[in-house]
Amino acid sequence: MNNDGKGDSLQGEDTPSTGVEPEVKSVSVKNPQSFFEERPLPASEMSPRVLRYQSRRDFLGFGAGALAVLAGAGFLLPRDTLSRLGVRRNMDFPGKEWFLNKALCIDDDVAEALYSVNRSVPTYTKSQITPLKNNYNGTTPDPGYIPGWKLTLDGLASGLSISLDIRNLLTSFSVHEQITRLVCVEGWSAIAWWAGLRFDDLLRTYPPMSQAKWALVESSVNLDASGNPDPYYMSIDLATARHPQTLLATHFNGRPLTVDHGAPLRLLVPLKLGLKNVKAITRITYVVEEPRDYWAERGYSRYDGI
Amino acid sequence: MSHSTLPDCEANSTSTLPEQPSVLVVRKHHFLVRWSHWLNIPILLGLILSGISIYWASPIYQHKPDPNTGNFDVAADIGVWICAHVPGQHHYSSPPDWIYNHMSLGPGMLAPALRLHWLCAYSFMLNGMVYVAGLVMGGNWRSLLPRQTDLLDAIRMLRYYLGFPFAKLARRQWPHPLFNTKYNALQRAAYFFVPVAGFLSVATGWAIHKPMQLHWLAALFGGYNAARVWHFWLMWVYILFVVPHVILVFADGWDTLRSMVVGWSTRVERSKVVVNEQ
Repeated sequence: MNNDGKGDSLQGEDTPSTGVEPEVKSVSVKNPQSFFEERPLPASEMSPRVLRYQSRRDFLGFGAGALAVLAGAGFLLPRDTLSRLGVRRNMDFPGKEWFLNKALCIDDDVAEALYSVNRSVPTYTKSQITPLKNNYNGTTPDPGYIPGWKLTLDGLASGLSISLDIRNLLTSFSVHEQITRLVCVEGWSAIAWWAGLRFDDLLRTYPPMSQAKWALVESSVNLDASGNPDPYYMSIDLATARHPQTLLATHFNGRPLTVDHGAPLRLLVPLKLGLKNVKAITRITYVVEEPRDYWAERGYSRYDGI
Repeated sequence: MSHSTLPDCEANSTSTLPEQPSVLVVRKHHFLVRWSHWLNIPILLGLILSGISIYWASPIYQHKPDPNTGNFDVAADIGVWICAHVPGQHHYSSPPDWIYNHMSLGPGMLAPALRLHWLCAYSFMLNGMVYVAGLVMGGNWRSLLPRQTDLLDAIRMLRYYLGFPFAKLARRQWPHPLFNTKYNALQRAAYFFVPVAGFLSVATGWAIHKPMQLHWLAALFGGYNAARVWHFWLMWVYILFVVPHVILVFADGWDTLRSMVVGWSTRVERSKVVVNEQ
């Protein structure tokens, strides 16, 4: 007899406290031949009372789970979606944003853990270049700002505020070229040929204050959809700013940047989503605490590492 | 009180409730398998609804912008077609949004859709691990492995399912193909390849979520853009699986549906249990 205990597996389950013990009968089975061969299902004799008790317990458990999921869906779904489903009541609980941001934070932590200064993004050949549309969020600014443009650096170790024009930047830093992919949060991407100075070189020449972990990259020329001033501001961690493929780009497809691509200087950080690639940068401020971020304030991720 | 030390053949006669004969049941599903099975419904629903909202922001299937409307999204074209041809939809306020209003969180909701998609995606990965743990602990992973005879058996099952309604109408006998395994060949193929699709969905998801850090993964699926196409069509695997899955479980009966809640089944004859004759 080869009772292997499989048939008795039900006995270990929590028996009801009604004093009725499960009626268990072992059924012996054929010996399986190979490791991958299907085993017979463990069979046992149960008293109907025990089965009824267990069924009731399981159905109540699964029913409670279903209710919890329904409540969770009402808790988590966006208000617009709920009103489309006919839920008129405001279901926004105070913890909702916190909870959804928590999921976003976990994902940002994963992205940060994946970052390595030694890992390069793929580069492409000129024949692989694809068109890149002007994706200014609002209106493309009038190019009138370009002649008087200056880059201001704040939060430096020297405690000074430094102003540089495009000639200063192009003469005092070496220019690097790269053909990389720019990936938008919307899902589209474009392979483009960029040239510019390394953010890392700027950080070495004008070192930030010692405790600084972040840079706030701003563009004061950004406009909203109706053409009104809408300054753009982005946080970037200094670890990513120091990556050798993070450029302050001055050239696009072999020519100086045009106004729709952020003349005269834009951030080009292929390790982040496109929305971090600030066009027409006017100020970089090094800070200790994570600074505000235009799209994070609108419900997107803060770190945006890809 | 009865004890399992009593001779097996006398178990019935020593029951404390002699008027109620005991029932022979088989253990079909480990409780981790059952819980993760049902949790897939809200998780996949959340993933699909938020996923189509993400799709809206940059549709994979585009054409040259229409000179009159400026529309380039094939899904919007389908919405316009539905509103023009489906009864009761003629007065729909925004035909190009029909698909997104009915099959997603809604158009123009990229930020909430992304947050919900990450939440559901991490839940889906956890749930998948729970499912695999349940398969291993219950030993039922072996019932899902493909066999050499599966192709022929699957064709026989397909013939049975397709012919069943006609046989019923013609009041002809239509015997179910015989098998002595937990699942028939078609079920086995479905229950094997849906978890594989789940794994591929996760892999393509990571490939398009972190295309720079995990660019080797994107390259495995033919690059970033191709991985997006994979990710989109893998969604259809679940949708196409669920329809016959639900129809057949109701056709198969209460015992099958109940077994995914309680774990046991009274259909002992379907497992190759050999009762020991003493």
